[in-house]
Amino acid sequence: MGLPFENVKRRTIVLREEATDSGYGLNPEERSIEERLKTGFILLDKPPGIRSKTAAHIAKKILAPLDVTKIGYSGTLED
Amino acid sequence: MHLHGEVTEQLLVSVLDSFTGKIKQLPPVRSHVKRQEREREIFYIDLLEIQGKDVLFRVGVQSGTYIRKLIHDIGQKLGAGAHMTELRRTKVSHLSEKDRLVTLQDLEDAVYLYLQESDGRLLDFSIQTIEKALDFLPKVMVSDTAVDPICLGAGVAIPGIVRLDDFKAGDRIFISTLKGELIALGDAVLDSDKLIKMKKGIAVKTDSVIMLPGTYPRYKRKDIGSQ
Repeated sequence: MGLPFENVKRRTIVLREEATDSGYGLNPEERSIEERLKTGFILLDKPPGIRSKTAAHIAKKILAPLDVTKIGYSGTLED
Repeated sequence: MHLHGEVTEQLLVSVLDSFTGKIKQLPPVRSHVKRQEREREIFYIDLLEIQGKDVLFRVGVQSGTYIRKLIHDIGQKLGAGAHMTELRRTKVSHLSEKDRLVTLQDLEDAVYLYLQESDGRLLDFSIQTIEKALDFLPKVMVSDTAVDPICLGAGVAIPGIVRLDDFKAGDRIFISTLKGELIALGDAVLDSDKLIKMKKGIAVKTDSVIMLPGTYPRYKRKDIGSQ
């Protein structure tokens, strides 16, 4: 039993085989923590009782020493 | 869910069952949407635990379903009445509690360990890639040569596409490098099955660019053909 999208298999179409130059860019899994602090994401276990906005604000303050200046949030719940 | 009166387990099970499928719901007085009855789908309700009048269950619902309201309505149907005592989101889209969920305290510890003890393990665990957050979107992967123009706002031209997931016109698209990096988000101009039969034109209109220009080289036009 699950949610509808969990049972949908996505079809991928390969138009051609092509290599990528390893001299540029990087597989996301190998991206440094410094880079992820610029564009990354946190799955936050928000405590009950505070607003998502407040939680995002606290997270921003916590990460401020690492020069994080912008944090947004999404996927929150209106009960 | 806290019940306002005695309810047999048998009745509870059958009433919970009756709430799966399509239900009608009137959004609560204090809600962010217009207050008119709307239909929402309940995919499953799994009863986990009963302790006196307190009932714990797991529910999978269509987005925009009010759980507080659902519980109120369940209470009405039971006759006894009920209200919501606690709600926890365990899943949204492709993400769940098992996908490196961290608390604010974890985050604080992670920063401390990283800065004071030069231990980056917890921070490394806590901060995930943007690609992971957007993994639910259909992807279009483009040649190295197509990357820089997209970083500068160009649309995704059909000849630059190497592989793609199934999608429909208007769908939100994850525009990716061959290494799987997010270049930008865009909106599909055409259905994927239509565009694979075409030789040229724009497949995806670029909207928000994430990758900085210059990450991939700016190829000269003569180089592109010879690759």
